[in-house]
Amino acid sequence: MTATARPVPDPASLWSSNDRAIEMARAILGSVDAPVGLTPKELIWRKNKARLYRYVRTEPATHRTPIFLVLPLINRAYILDLRPGASFVEFLLSQGFDVFLIDWGTPGDEDRGLDITTLVTRYLPRAAKAIQRATGRDEMTVLGYCIGGVLASCFAALHPAVTRNLVLLTAPLDFSDAGQFGRMTARGRFPVERLTDTFPTVPAQIPDIGSKLLNPIASYVGTYVRLWEKLGDPTFDVSGWQAMYRWVNDSVPFASAAFRQWIVEFYQENRLARDILEMDGQPVRLSAIRCPVLNIAASRDQIAPRATTSIVTGRVGSSDASEILIEGGHVGIVIGRSASQNLWPRVGAWLSAHD
Amino acid sequence: MTKAEGSGQASDPFETWRQLYDANERAWSAALEQAMGQPEFGEASGKLLETMLAAQKSVRGNMRTYLETMNVPTREDIAGLGELVVGLEEKIDQIADRLDAIERALRTRPAKKAG
Repeated sequence: MTATARPVPDPASLWSSNDRAIEMARAILGSVDAPVGLTPKELIWRKNKARLYRYVRTEPATHRTPIFLVLPLINRAYILDLRPGASFVEFLLSQGFDVFLIDWGTPGDEDRGLDITTLVTRYLPRAAKAIQRATGRDEMTVLGYCIGGVLASCFAALHPAVTRNLVLLTAPLDFSDAGQFGRMTARGRFPVERLTDTFPTVPAQIPDIGSKLLNPIASYVGTYVRLWEKLGDPTFDVSGWQAMYRWVNDSVPFASAAFRQWIVEFYQENRLARDILEMDGQPVRLSAIRCPVLNIAASRDQIAPRATTSIVTGRVGSSDASEILIEGGHVGIVIGRSASQNLWPRVGAWLSAHD
Repeated sequence: MTKAEGSGQASDPFETWRQLYDANERAWSAALEQAMGQPEFGEASGKLLETMLAAQKSVRGNMRTYLETMNVPTREDIAGLGELVVGLEEKIDQIADRLDAIERALRTRPAKKAG
């Protein structure tokens, strides 16, 4: 009887694979404590869970107009100050700007009635007042990211005297063709009333799963395949990957009234783009935004698809409205090497020219 | 590729996993995208979510009844207290806003002549 020899696995390859698997587990598990948001800042105003921070400057600002960063409600605010060397805030400080950021915090059950109108009409104006007191300047540049961009637009429309410039970073304003998110949240299909009636705050996992379902294979498998590949590269910066992984998986719950308003008034009824949005009895119109506007959009954005971000320049009442269209996705254009080399300097130049 | 490398890769489950992913990712993503783009997907996921919410609501209701029977504060009771504090903070903010407005008005009003 003759036996066919089976290929013997190469032990060296098996051990190196084993090592890399352990490194992978360490990278993923260690991301929970990845250092993020390290730029020094001081608290200058607070209301409920919201906190307004002023980033500490070692030298006086060289630009007159302070920058007010308005962050999304469902993500942690440290995305714009991810880590040293990959921080938009750090870049703005290096360019001589006085930078303020509103962090919405984590809503609790007691915030079930907190809606977007309240945030725009009660929180943002008071935060802006705190900036005025801190800087002695009446006007500021309002810069909003994603949902924060929608809030910033509403604020700019209602408070033209305060808003010197408006900068929007991947902010969806027109939901007539909101892509997969629009289909998922369509009236009659998405049980928004039952969801917000059941939970005082919509669990972070629900919008998070929605985002990941936009590209499920890449989100649930690709992330780990790419990590596996990169761990084989000795120059790979694990701490950078961990910071980003931490942010992606560190979502915050959505106060149910805010979530209901976001889905019904923005996604389903598209009130802002249709000029029928009202907040506290006041009409909120894009045409009321008369300050210089810079709209930054991503070409492959699935969360805020191009159709949702493209109307801004044509609809605002400003004669100075421009757009930067960047090749990339929703988060990638804001953070990362290409952002620091391409987008940030262009935004910095625009802000300097509009100081 | 040497013989050793070839046999090593074949025996490495992670490498196999990576190759499988690279070879099929586009096709899988395209198929899923197409499936999720159908109105039926939206309807099915909506119904699934609705069923889960009904179960969740029932659990919450039962828990509330149980805690009330045991004379233990429920989440709603504690949230109610929190709401009162948040409401109070808003009232203080409104008073501060009014004081600011009065201060501004006084500053801009021309000073009365003495005598």
